[in-house]
Amino acid sequence: METLFLDFFQNTGFYLCDYRNIIMIIVGLIFIYLGIAKDYEPLLLVPIGFGMLMGNIPVFKGFGLSIYEANSVLHYLYFGVTQGIYPPLIFLGIGAMTDFSTLLARPVLMLLGAAAQAGIFITFLGALALGFDPKEAASIGIIGGADGPTAIFLTSKLAPSLIGPIAVAAYSYMALVPVIQPPIMRLLTTRRERLIRMDESRDVSKRERILFPIVAFLLCCFLAPAALPLLGMLCFGNLLKEAVVTERLAVAARTSIIDTVTILLGVTVGASTQGDVFLTTKSVGIFFLGALSFCIATASGLLFAKFMNLFLKNKINPLLGAAGVSAVPDSARVVQIVGQREDPTNFLLMHAMAPNISGVIGSAIAAGVLWSLMS
Amino acid sequence: MYGLEAIEANNGWAISAVGISIVFTGLVLLSLSISRIHKLLEIWENRDNISLFKKKNPQSEAPTPRFLTERERESADQFYLLIKTMDDHFSLPRLLYLAEISGIERPHSNLSRLLKTKIIKPDLDGFYLFDKDMHNNQ
Repeated sequence: METLFLDFFQNTGFYLCDYRNIIMIIVGLIFIYLGIAKDYEPLLLVPIGFGMLMGNIPVFKGFGLSIYEANSVLHYLYFGVTQGIYPPLIFLGIGAMTDFSTLLARPVLMLLGAAAQAGIFITFLGALALGFDPKEAASIGIIGGADGPTAIFLTSKLAPSLIGPIAVAAYSYMALVPVIQPPIMRLLTTRRERLIRMDESRDVSKRERILFPIVAFLLCCFLAPAALPLLGMLCFGNLLKEAVVTERLAVAARTSIIDTVTILLGVTVGASTQGDVFLTTKSVGIFFLGALSFCIATASGLLFAKFMNLFLKNKINPLLGAAGVSAVPDSARVVQIVGQREDPTNFLLMHAMAPNISGVIGSAIAAGVLWSLMS
Repeated sequence: MYGLEAIEANNGWAISAVGISIVFTGLVLLSLSISRIHKLLEIWENRDNISLFKKKNPQSEAPTPRFLTERERESADQFYLLIKTMDDHFSLPRLLYLAEISGIERPHSNLSRLLKTKIIKPDLDGFYLFDKDMHNNQ
């Protein structure tokens, strides 16, 4: 009987626990706290945080419990991450809930979304310089796109072993947009620039909104075919929304489908952060480079907006450049908040959505380009 | 390998330059395309007012009736005499047959000329009419 108790005790988490599991459980609890108490991206941080708790319960190897064991339930759910299935489904939902009107009304703001993608390629160089191999460096660089699904998609194709740290870094920085971006925005702009008011946008017709996803899809995918899974689903989702006659499908895409996939993706990405796998020097490097990538992307967008103002008759508020990172709609909200701190009657949110959405398209193209160049 | 050496060894500069160029090109092209969508739609919606899309009037496409020569005029008179023996709405093959047996010179060619000058017109029911006014104006 004593032996039975001893055997059972040896299979418990208390016995198998490692200090790394404890660290990751604490990180998971912080994520849950930030999501619930601070309202930082709760739809992402709460599932990821709880997934971290699930992934760091020490389990006896061979029971088929760990996410890294081939016959475990979590492993099957994780299949959608490792094979890059969940990110396009999330893009379908994003497309079905996004209104591209602001982008159509002022297409020049799309350039800000392109400029912000410089962060991806500068970080790629930084990662190479730190000794990461090119595929890993490309996966780390894409964190600067500030787009969790895109980062997961590219990493699943190029460096599957880094999915955990890269996904957690990408989502953490996305959640921390309100903390990371404002100091950079204030540092790189003058008060006078932050006070610039944007002209009112023109009305966009229904036909334009229906044509846009088709034109954008054909043009971008002919240029960068590797962006097909992400851009295809994004544009398809948007077409469902704008076509009106497919409203039922659009509603499914932007509610039940995206919610289900977000839960599965969040929990499994969180569960993939098992202490022994996650807490490595590589992960530290990824977090450092991810933060750098995010800062460079924000700065690139801001500086490019200032550069554009040298040539534009009607100046644009350079704060909009910060929305070029594709954390939709958080970075657009941050632009609004920073702008309103200077002038409470200045409404930049709708204008900031244009570079924000073009950032999504830009980071998907960048992911496609990196994938095709690395394969 | 670390630092600039690692970047150069892995072709990092070129990959970055190509990557950012493609992203920029893609978004610039998209931006240019969508900035034209509303103008193209405007043209399409107002296509009735634009000469490029206007349907040309079939009347204006038809060649202006040419005046008949003396000989053609003479044969038109002969055809008129034949037509007077027929119903107002007459059959063209029947007229041609009558012209041939009556010995009218080059009946096919002359009949064709009368059709072109609209002296003989289709009644849109498979028969033809002789336009006396047109005949007198020649």
